[in-house]
Amino acid sequence: MLDYLDLDAELTDEERLVRDTAREFVQNELADSIGTHWIDGTFPTELIPEMGELGFYAPNLSGYGLPGVSETAYGLLMAELEACDSGLRSMASVQGALVMYPIHAFGSAAQKDEWLERLGTGEAVGCFGLTEPEHGSNPSGMATRARPDGDGYVLSGTKTWITNAPIADMAIVWARVGDDGPVRGFLVETDRDGVSTPKLTEKLSLRASITGEIGLRDVFVPEENVLPNVEGMKGPLSCLTQARYGIAWGAVGAARDCFETARQYALDREQFGGPIARFQLQQEKLAEMATQISLAQLLAHRLAELKERDALRSQHVSMAKRNNVAMAREQSRVAREMLGGNGITADYSPMRHLTNMETVYTYEGTHDIHSLILGQDLTGIAAFE
Amino acid sequence: MKILVTVKEVAEAEDDFDIDGLDIDERYLEFDLNEWDEYAIEEAVQIKEDGDDVEVVSVTIGPERAEETIRMGLAKGVDRAIRVWDDAFADVGMLDPKTKADVLSAVVEDEQPDLVLTGVQAGDDSFGATGVTLAETIDFEWGAVVNALDLDAGAGVASVHRELEGGIEELTDIELPAVLTIQTGINEPRYASLRGIRQAQSKPLDLHELDDLGLEESDLESPLSRTAMYEPESEGDATVFEGSAEETATELASLLRDVGVVEG
Ligand SMILES: Cc1cc2nc3c(=O)[nH]c(=O)nc-3n(C[C@H](O)[C@H](O)[C@H](O)COP(=O)(O)OP(=O)(O)OC[C@H]3O[C@@H](n4cnc5c(N)ncnc54)[C@H](O)[C@@H]3O)c2cc1C
Repeated sequence: MLDYLDLDAELTDEERLVRDTAREFVQNELADSIGTHWIDGTFPTELIPEMGELGFYAPNLSGYGLPGVSETAYGLLMAELEACDSGLRSMASVQGALVMYPIHAFGSAAQKDEWLERLGTGEAVGCFGLTEPEHGSNPSGMATRARPDGDGYVLSGTKTWITNAPIADMAIVWARVGDDGPVRGFLVETDRDGVSTPKLTEKLSLRASITGEIGLRDVFVPEENVLPNVEGMKGPLSCLTQARYGIAWGAVGAARDCFETARQYALDREQFGGPIARFQLQQEKLAEMATQISLAQLLAHRLAELKERDALRSQHVSMAKRNNVAMAREQSRVAREMLGGNGITADYSPMRHLTNMETVYTYEGTHDIHSLILGQDLTGIAAFE
Repeated sequence: MKILVTVKEVAEAEDDFDIDGLDIDERYLEFDLNEWDEYAIEEAVQIKEDGDDVEVVSVTIGPERAEETIRMGLAKGVDRAIRVWDDAFADVGMLDPKTKADVLSAVVEDEQPDLVLTGVQAGDDSFGATGVTLAETIDFEWGAVVNALDLDAGAGVASVHRELEGGIEELTDIELPAVLTIQTGINEPRYASLRGIRQAQSKPLDLHELDDLGLEESDLESPLSRTAMYEPESEGDATVFEGSAEETATELASLLRDVGVVEG
């Protein structure tokens, strides 16, 4: 496995064991079937509780049976999952960073008791509803409303592009209270009256992941289902910072898998009387790929250090998400190209990663939006207001 | 009840490697827990989970590098681990099964286990003899190549299935204390959970040197020594045809024609 700068040497035993366990898990459980899942547009749902048993959801949090591993160990886990498929990493990101994290950080004791253990073991599946048909990059413009009603709220609106909505037991729905109140987070059980979660089909990217809508037609939720300790866009945005941190690591895993596949292919594939890896043109591609992956890896490791000592700013995460995903998007294309015609099939991973990266480039803040976040941080001028 | 599991970190060579003197060049080696030992650990941990008051202890003869592998065992449910090492081991190089059994017997002496589980063999040197030799050395009953185990701890009896040649299975009752060498496939080894990995960091992993075990350097003298290592010349190349029956049949036909087996 590519680790050109020997970052392995910086890891603790514990971190190595986490990485090795994740690597072994995807190798044994999914390596043979992930291509078929992707083609069929299915997620290996039978692995959801198994991943929970292993502690793959929010392992960097503590309490409620969660292991509280280091931020590096968490990042390595995301990289191994995404080396298999972005759909697998998305499952862990949504469940851990977008659903369990806000309950852990902003939830009431009762909410934590009710959900954290069940979500952690994969007994329950959660989803995160922020994006709407008319509000993507600008979620604060959201049209979903929560109207106070007796001892609770009535929710109405539509969330779309929601990972796992069709299989979720509960959704964290972000809605504005009244017409100009703050955005609040609501824990919405998907079997409540008025909730629908239709599936979106015919995606051409992230096919091994289930995506859907959350329709909210006058859904009553009691007061105790509101996340009590956060108000405003800080709620959803802080979750996204957690998830984007995992993506910055995950993208490195996907790119590494592309690199390894391309390197092996170049050594095995013979043209003009020998392996194509002997051609300088191919070697240049491998050299560039290895360099870009290594740089992205350094960025991810640095994020972990900053996060570990509470010095991580969301803009740091924006830089890493923006860079590492763009890197993986580019390099998966180069790997695909090195595989010639075979690269066009699902027998090899690069084109699957390549198409997945189109989603990863777009969700959790598009590449452009992260440019604007960095632009604002660097100039003090917000281009999006 | 106490179960001692002997585990070994084995070297696995990459597909392409160079030989350096009497061994494969370390640059081409990856170290990992011996496959058979994974099953032995799982078996012990399952007995612990099914019973009351069962302690599982692992023992490894190996350098510090092996600690990562040992921790993986702790993460999967082993309660504590012993690592036996001493500079003297590095000097002797190869350990034959009898020497290993002598070292392990000193640990058995200390620990007084009711049951010792070993792997059938180690994936690297493939002696396949350490477990049975240990049983002889410590005068325990033994069963080799066990592929099913039903333990009656109260009665002190292990009912085992043993895999014989030709698909035949033998059922034997073995009285404890006993050494059983565990075959792959006896169970489905678990993955270490992240919780387990965390907990493993605080489980005891003790180093025993020769002194601690009442052994001396001379106890490591082995009657066996490796005299050479080389890659056998391949006598022919295998060609593997891949694809549909139609494609592969066509390829086979043209090959047979090329080498003159068929004409036309
Ligand atoms: C497979 C998949 C899974 C998803 N899962 C989830 C989920 O679980 N939960 C959830 O809430 N959302 C999810 N999303 C939604 C995702 O976060 C949004 O698609 C994303 O935020 C972009 O929003 P949009 O699609 O409305 O694009 P738009 O915001 O309409 O953007 C269109 C284009 O305009 C650009 N653009 C927008 N604003 C500006 C600007 N100010 N300056 C310059 N360029 C701009 C964008 O960069 C983009 O290129 C998912 C998306 C996909 C594809």
